[in-house]
Amino acid sequence: MTAKIPPLDIPRRPRGRWKPWAALGVIALITAITMSPQWGVAFAFDAIARNWQNGAEKVLQLLQPDWAFWPRTIAPLLETLQMAVIATAVGAAVSLPFSLWAATLTNPDRVSRGIVRTALNVVRSVPDLLYASVLVAMVGVGALPGIIALVLFNVGIIVKLVSEAIESNDAGPLEAGRAAGGSQLQVNRAVALPDVWPSFINQTLYVFELNVRASTVLGLVGAGGLGLLIDAVRTYYRYDQLSLIILEILVIVVVIDVVSSAIRKRLV
Amino acid sequence: MTLHSQKSAEVGTTVPASAPWAIRMRDVTVRYPNGVVALDGITLDIEAGEMVSVVGLSGSGKSSMIRTINGLVPITSGSLTVGDVALEATSGRRLRALRGEIGMIFQGFNLAGRTSVLNNVLVGRLAHSSLWRTLLGAYTEADRQIAFEALERVGILAKAWDRASSLSGGQQQRVAIARALSQQPRLVLADEPVASLDPPTAHAVMRDLRRINEELGITVMTNLHLVDLARTYGTRMIGLRAGTVVYDGPAATATDADFERIYGRSIEAEDVLGA
Repeated sequence: MTAKIPPLDIPRRPRGRWKPWAALGVIALITAITMSPQWGVAFAFDAIARNWQNGAEKVLQLLQPDWAFWPRTIAPLLETLQMAVIATAVGAAVSLPFSLWAATLTNPDRVSRGIVRTALNVVRSVPDLLYASVLVAMVGVGALPGIIALVLFNVGIIVKLVSEAIESNDAGPLEAGRAAGGSQLQVNRAVALPDVWPSFINQTLYVFELNVRASTVLGLVGAGGLGLLIDAVRTYYRYDQLSLIILEILVIVVVIDVVSSAIRKRLV
Repeated sequence: MTLHSQKSAEVGTTVPASAPWAIRMRDVTVRYPNGVVALDGITLDIEAGEMVSVVGLSGSGKSSMIRTINGLVPITSGSLTVGDVALEATSGRRLRALRGEIGMIFQGFNLAGRTSVLNNVLVGRLAHSSLWRTLLGAYTEADRQIAFEALERVGILAKAWDRASSLSGGQQQRVAIARALSQQPRLVLADEPVASLDPPTAHAVMRDLRRINEELGITVMTNLHLVDLARTYGTRMIGLRAGTVVYDGPAATATDADFERIYGRSIEAEDVLGA
């Protein structure tokens, strides 16, 4: 009745289980070095304790928004939104052909693909605030340098994400288009584009959210929008007015988030 | 002009714009960059208007042969003439024009799933459309008419505005056939067109291909690996093994022994589709 179980032939445990621990150790070491007084960044937590009184005062001011200030925030707020809309529209329009150009599936030519990808890596490596401060020096203070900075920032993001989405698409339909005698451009338009749309719209909504956030701070370097006002009230230590601006940004970001996720749900 | 378009508006009156094509292969060899020899010195004549089944196991070179005929795979040596075009000396715009005359049907249907059935069929008009019309999606009324007639011929005109991915496998393959038909082709190549379909659907799709050959007179070349389909559909059968032709004769009378020679093993249940 008692069936004899044959000895289990358990395979040998794979080696190399120490590797994650070693990686964790290296990370801990690097963190410790950056925090150490000899080699690391100079900072001390006691500054929080020393300036505690000062900080509490600011927090108290922030908790009491100056509601009477709101009429003066409307124009800059609208400018910020307009910058975000324009930059998103222009950035998305520019990004679409470049996205198709940067993906292997829709551009088999290695040379032109390499050029586009390299150029976009350079564009993406520069932060938007840096673009804005350089552009303010080039074209002057106002919304224009802000919009150009956001467009560059958008193209970098959209092309990277959309071209990666294209690579994961099925190559079969494109081969069918080529077999029917279509040129690469024709096949990209007639066959690849319908499959690219959802991810393109998705990323465009995503950069619109980023643009609204980014365009509020671009004004700090003179590139238009709410940032100019933020800079002004901050200079005069009007934290009550600053908190009203923060609340307004919060409301707008939440509204955009709700609307864009509602749109995304309908994209399949 | 109006009289002509009036006439072609009647469903089922489309005839191919031009005569079907023959294929001449002379010592055609295809070697892939990784060193694999897919076709090994094939010499073959396919006459205009023939319905040919190409039979062989996977890896026998039958898929490479079909892709070589429309230039998707380049020839390493030898000469291949499709209609009156020498493929080994054709590239770029002229190769695209040639492909425009050759319809191709794939095992995986290869439709753009997120767009309409009609838009997928209109892909067959790319070689006949100007670039700006393609880019704007502004196909001519004549092109749309051709697409609708092609859909009617395979019996799914009612699905014209549906999204391609919402169709069943058999319906999707019919859309793919309509896409090939809208090219008004002189030659149709089908690469394992029914391998992803259930038996009744597979027979229906094979009947569609046979009708294209019989009613429109178009040369049809179909890759198959199932014995009974090769016998039933097609007048001529070509057997490929390791990139060479090991059988060339009538399809209906091919014996099990012939198939065993092509496959290099005995015929099994999995080699037959059934009804």
